[in-house]
Amino acid sequence: MTATRLLIGTAGLGIGVYGLLVLLTDNPWIILVRIAVWAGAGVVIHDFVFAPVCAALGFVGGRLIPRSWRAAVGVAALCSIVLGLLAIPVYDRPGAHLDNPTVLDRNYHHGLWVALAVVWVGAIAYLAATALAGLLRRAAPGDDQRRSTSTDADSSESDSIRRLAAVPTDPDPVGGDDAQPHSPSRSGMVTHAEQVDEPPGPETDH
Amino acid sequence: MNKAASTLRGTAVTARVGVALGVLITVCFVTGLISHFIQHPQPWFIWPAHPVWLYRLTQGLHVACGIAVIPLLVVKLWSVWPKLFERPIIGGPVRQLERASILVLVASMLFQVSTGLLNIAQWYYFQFFFTTSHYAMAYVAYGAVAVHVAVKLPVVRGALGEPVDPPSVPSVGPSRRSVLWGTAAATVLATLVTAGQAVPLLRPLSVLAPRSGRGPQDVPVNRSAIAAGVIASAQSPDYRLTVTNGDRSVSYTVEDLHRMRQQTRTLPMSCVEGWSVSAEWTGIVLADLVAAVGGSASSDVRMISLEPPGPYSRTIIPARHARDADTLIALRLNGQPLDLDHGYPCRLIAPTRPGVLQTKWLTRIEVVAQ
Repeated sequence: MTATRLLIGTAGLGIGVYGLLVLLTDNPWIILVRIAVWAGAGVVIHDFVFAPVCAALGFVGGRLIPRSWRAAVGVAALCSIVLGLLAIPVYDRPGAHLDNPTVLDRNYHHGLWVALAVVWVGAIAYLAATALAGLLRRAAPGDDQRRSTSTDADSSESDSIRRLAAVPTDPDPVGGDDAQPHSPSRSGMVTHAEQVDEPPGPETDH
Repeated sequence: MNKAASTLRGTAVTARVGVALGVLITVCFVTGLISHFIQHPQPWFIWPAHPVWLYRLTQGLHVACGIAVIPLLVVKLWSVWPKLFERPIIGGPVRQLERASILVLVASMLFQVSTGLLNIAQWYYFQFFFTTSHYAMAYVAYGAVAVHVAVKLPVVRGALGEPVDPPSVPSVGPSRRSVLWGTAAATVLATLVTAGQAVPLLRPLSVLAPRSGRGPQDVPVNRSAIAAGVIASAQSPDYRLTVTNGDRSVSYTVEDLHRMRQQTRTLPMSCVEGWSVSAEWTGIVLADLVAAVGGSASSDVRMISLEPPGPYSRTIIPARHARDADTLIALRLNGQPLDLDHGYPCRLIAPTRPGVLQTKWLTRIEVVAQ
């Protein structure tokens, strides 16, 4: 592995230095300054504006938003950020040319807002579906014969049973956000829909 | 810092998103170099004329992967951002070297992604030339990625061998796994809302694509006849297309060209900016025009536009493409005479070449002496 790392590192250093030399030989110093400023501005804007704002929003969201909603809201927020970034160069069509109507020829205002609406409606629909699934499970206690642990009181879905049978007491670290409704709860009696206001676990104390 | 967020951050997320980024950046680097060397031919670089959609694929991938990098980069930087404030802030020489290499990596990556994204929307807000700086910075960025991989390889391997989430992860709420799923979702979304400019099936979904794929005769335009300053010369009754080989020369009027043997080919118009459309072109096989002046099939051919001298008013088409039976001097597009913006009276259309090299408003074709 050391040899591989040395090879990759040396090759990378060579490629990077070559790029710097191309930059330095192809451009007068004033252009180099502009390039450096652009590259540096990207880092500064990310590290000291974009990232802190995201962290602050996450911090506030972590207090205002019920725990069971956070994954869906977080994914929707990430999608919204990405849509926003992609919209920057097209939204107000700053690169449009009067002589060429085929560049930037969509209605980007409409497009961005529709895309954002789809993302958030999708997130809400996901939350509603998982809540409904939780309610249904409570209303119809399922096939008990395959239950493998006493802590599992919320699931009759075959895939969760299969997984619970395989890992009887593990809170299913590989279940993902879609597995939340199936995971055994600490109280042993409540479903995920009721855990909204439950005090956070030991890992999540503020 | 919120502890819930800090348990979501972690090497498990960073390493997996990093691997995906590494793959996409490699595709961008390789396809970018291909596009560069097509435009700046080197003796060792052999670019085939077939399959005709090859450049459409490589350049479409270049732009699509560059866009897909954006959500991954956002999440990757999010996952390591607190390290920025780790003590010691300055530290010893090794620490400084590591920080400097990360600075180069992040700065060059943000440079590549931001200039690329602005370029496909033709928004030249930055005051430097896009192509040369994007090309040179690609080496800096890719070199920095390689150095970073070399430094982090044991950490990455370790992280990939361990479960994504710690066993103590709460049963409800976000987990690292949900972060990874969310990142994948955002990456798919970024692709869907833009890739329609190269993938016709996705057009209705690509609400943020700089091109809808529409245009005169169903083909978008990059350089208009007005911008090229050819409105009068292209429609002049004195227009001639002159084909030369050394001191042999033949001049054709538009009527002469239409009277010659016409061929129809379905070839994509693929722009360096990532958009592409397939179209039906009708015209004269270039090799026939070259043969008419006794040109050799192993000669490169120079295309000269009516457009006043500029970076793309004349191009050289290598012999491999010049002799290919799919390379046309097109007079018609999708069943109609070429629109003025598409190069009326005639233009070059060759397979596997970027649109910027498909010279429009041709006035002169020269067989280049070997």
